[in-house]
Amino acid sequence: MSRKKWSIGVAFLSLVTLAFSSHADETCNSPYMSKLIKGQEDFVHVWTLGVEGLGDGSDKLVTIDVAPKSKTYGKVVHSASVGTRGEAHHMGFTDDRRYLWAGGLSNNQIYVFDVGTDPARPKLVKTIGDLTAKSGLVGPHTFYAMPGRMLIGALSNAGDEGGATGMAMYNNKGQFVARYDMPTGEIGGVKGDGYGYDLAINPARNALLTSSFTGIDNYRRNIGELLKDGEAMKRFGNTMVLWDLKAMKPQQIFSVPGAPLEIRWSLKPGDNWAITAAALTSKLWLVKQDAQGKWQAKEVATIGDPSKVPLPVDISITADGKGLWVNTFSDGMTRYFDLSDPEKPQQTYARQTGKQVNMVSQSWDGKRVYVTSSLLERWDKGGEDNEQFLRAFSWNGKELQPAFEVDFTKEKLGRAHHMKFSAR
Amino acid sequence: MWNVLCALALLAIAGEGRSAADPTQPQAPYMQFVPPAAGTYQLQRIQRVPEARLLDRHARVRPLRELTRGKVTLLTFFYTYCTDPWGCPFAYSLMTGLRERLMAQPGTGGRVRFVSISFDPTVDTPEALRLHAGAVRSDARLPWEFLTARSMAELTPLLEDFGQDVRVELDKQGRPVRTINHMLKLFLIDRGGVVREIYALDYLHAEMMINDINTLLLEEKSATLRWFSN
Repeated sequence: MSRKKWSIGVAFLSLVTLAFSSHADETCNSPYMSKLIKGQEDFVHVWTLGVEGLGDGSDKLVTIDVAPKSKTYGKVVHSASVGTRGEAHHMGFTDDRRYLWAGGLSNNQIYVFDVGTDPARPKLVKTIGDLTAKSGLVGPHTFYAMPGRMLIGALSNAGDEGGATGMAMYNNKGQFVARYDMPTGEIGGVKGDGYGYDLAINPARNALLTSSFTGIDNYRRNIGELLKDGEAMKRFGNTMVLWDLKAMKPQQIFSVPGAPLEIRWSLKPGDNWAITAAALTSKLWLVKQDAQGKWQAKEVATIGDPSKVPLPVDISITADGKGLWVNTFSDGMTRYFDLSDPEKPQQTYARQTGKQVNMVSQSWDGKRVYVTSSLLERWDKGGEDNEQFLRAFSWNGKELQPAFEVDFTKEKLGRAHHMKFSAR
Repeated sequence: MWNVLCALALLAIAGEGRSAADPTQPQAPYMQFVPPAAGTYQLQRIQRVPEARLLDRHARVRPLRELTRGKVTLLTFFYTYCTDPWGCPFAYSLMTGLRERLMAQPGTGGRVRFVSISFDPTVDTPEALRLHAGAVRSDARLPWEFLTARSMAELTPLLEDFGQDVRVELDKQGRPVRTINHMLKLFLIDRGGVVREIYALDYLHAEMMINDINTLLLEEKSATLRWFSN
């Protein structure tokens, strides 16, 4: 082959492929789709709830420069508004990490942002509006990449707006593929409650694990009123489900009281366990295979003082599976648990990082930790306690040191929720 | 020679052992489960294979429709000079093993085909494909087609439709080097031209893939029986 010919070949490919030159990672992503990055992330994208009267009042994807050597380090460098307010909540990369799919909990829209072409300037390229029409589900929550498709965990249904829900699968082109209901029957002596929240996959075990929360009738209700309504407080999920991923069939239902939320598999090759935090009971639960290969769920630690309802929300596992960050919303604490023995997590560090905190994301190398503030539009605190921010910290294994902060209210952005990283 | 290089690369990888595995790097997929039996589950109907016109190794124009209908098809993209041990060489080795097993399986002959399409039509000419595919034994029980495109412009829509991102690796001076970064994916297509499964590296479990192929073959059998019973 001549050198000229090769040059023409790569030139052609360069022209058509420069648009795809972005990587990104954090340990709470679907870890199996594309090459992970070990080094410094360049941007943190924050899916932000619009607030009436603040800026344009719309939900938006806010991009913050987090490259320490950059002139705009710690600053908002871009904001991509979707032009409406629909309770921005969670988002997830496609398998190739070229696109971010972001959901609106109250308007059931799925916004697809191109972050691959220029991660400094994500662009809204598609809005998928047929989730409810195609699946009957509402409240798109988790967006989890599978090869060539996206598995979406929903929180509720369009019928009674209660907690019975399911998952919707779309292909990467944005076309609906299938719906899978959360089980309501009995498997292995445990009855499914039909509720849904997070989902996470372990391909080496053909395992899909799902957790459970509550319906739109509760999560779109004022938290003060909700807490006083004893009947409504009974309508929270108390189960996790292990699915045969290939068959997309539930195999086991675990009793996990108190709304088990985020799920993180240990990413260490060969590990066979995942961990979650139950919000209402303030417990860490381990889902692990026993010596016979049967999956078991067991309570392994207490987070703070459950009697004070600290409300553990987001968790972030280290890349080696030996540590876990846990954010508790009510007391604004960010806690670190040593997971060297996942059967006996030990809290080794805690620091108040805000008056209210929700999401926590760490870099792959574990040296940087980012915290945001908003939980749900109608559950966030009021008055001076309603801080809205992204706070960045460095972590030396002993202490969180503040690096920078973006005040989302002062910047007229909204309520800071889910974070994803990218790099040039 | 190609087979020897593949074998050496895989031997080197196997020698690393999982205990020393770096979780940030691609690793050999490993299966720690008993796969559900063929025919006990349904594969999703993910997307239709688009229309495209490609060139085979004899420089004949071949409509992609012709190569993705009528048989169960396992399709992937590659480039002949790929050296990433977890990229094209791994897929080639895996597909070679699957092909041997499927050809030995009773009742499968003539019902499955493999298709490999080059990412780089400029370098991977029909002649280059002939050299590359020379080691693949021709066997009508399971044909393996190697294809390229007449131009990048003709190939790009196909790559986009299959969600195959590709980019040329650049050196520190920003000059292209001889590596095309791409995400390894294999597409399992039913005889009607619908993608029914997509495998990325962590899903490339040979046992599971055999069961998936057999699941689609069983679907055909059921459809045929239904047709006769009607």
